[in-house]
Amino acid sequence: MLSETATEQLKQQLESLLDRCQPICAAVVVTVDGYTCAMKQRTTDQYSLERVATMGSTLMSLGDTMTAELKMGSCENIISENQHGIIAFMHINHNLVLVSLTTETNSLGMLLSHSRKCAENMAKTVAV
Amino acid sequence: MNEHKVVFTGSLGAGKTTAIASISEIPVINTDIQTSDFTKPVMRQIGAHSSTPSIEVANRSMTTVAMDYGEVNLELGKKLRLYGTPGQQRFDYMWKVLIHGAQGLVIFVDNAGTDPIGDLARYTDIFREYILTTHTVVAVTRMDLVPRPSIQVYHNYLHQLGIQLPVFSVDARSSESVANMVGHLVEMINGESC
Repeated sequence: MLSETATEQLKQQLESLLDRCQPICAAVVVTVDGYTCAMKQRTTDQYSLERVATMGSTLMSLGDTMTAELKMGSCENIISENQHGIIAFMHINHNLVLVSLTTETNSLGMLLSHSRKCAENMAKTVAV
Repeated sequence: MNEHKVVFTGSLGAGKTTAIASISEIPVINTDIQTSDFTKPVMRQIGAHSSTPSIEVANRSMTTVAMDYGEVNLELGKKLRLYGTPGQQRFDYMWKVLIHGAQGLVIFVDNAGTDPIGDLARYTDIFREYILTTHTVVAVTRMDLVPRPSIQVYHNYLHQLGIQLPVFSVDARSSESVANMVGHLVEMINGESC
């Protein structure tokens, strides 16, 4: 389990992610077995993020299983493009997953690039 | 129909993943993840008296977060597709996803768990609509470790619910034991399709 310090740092990094990238409306860090570590959303209680986080761990696990089955290396991210928004799932490390989402359907690039950068920074945080 | 879809569900550690691995004829696809809440083991007393020893009944380090998948070839070119659900409540959304289109359901109950009848109650409630309209059996595991409650107690409980289901004592590690239980379920499915 993460230390309180690491968890607090992850929360701050989620806040920074939402500050830097306006299209992102919510983001959450979850363990690969479905426990929420940190979450942030622009509008309080807009989403049930704990539920989304657990589903994120399931999807990432399926992605890992599929890529292993197809011998495609490790699963970098999973993108769900929807009628009213986009959800990105990506590994922070072997134990943690970042889930980020936007309601702007033309912001896939920003969502992915900012989320990827955030995930890399988080990986450094939890590695310490 | 040349294929039957059967879903293995039940509480955490009841033997769903192990049972699929026991009989699958293809390498099992699984999504087991190391648990981050892996703490101290849960102990349960075997007998009714305080002097009887306790055994370790739950000490899980891995858990299924999406599904397990295996296949068994049946006679006449038919195929059995086996899906295992996650056992933990927080993955309950996968239960509805996986049960869709299934012709059979196996509810696994760990007899060495802290509340096996309570576990059966939970899963019969969750899948009640399915149970009443399709084919279901109950597989009670680890009766070799903890013999009580007996199979009759499970029958009595189901009777109280107004449900009549076959209840098997199953060793999830034994292909013979699992195949016997699954064979019975397939007969129930075939009986309807005849």
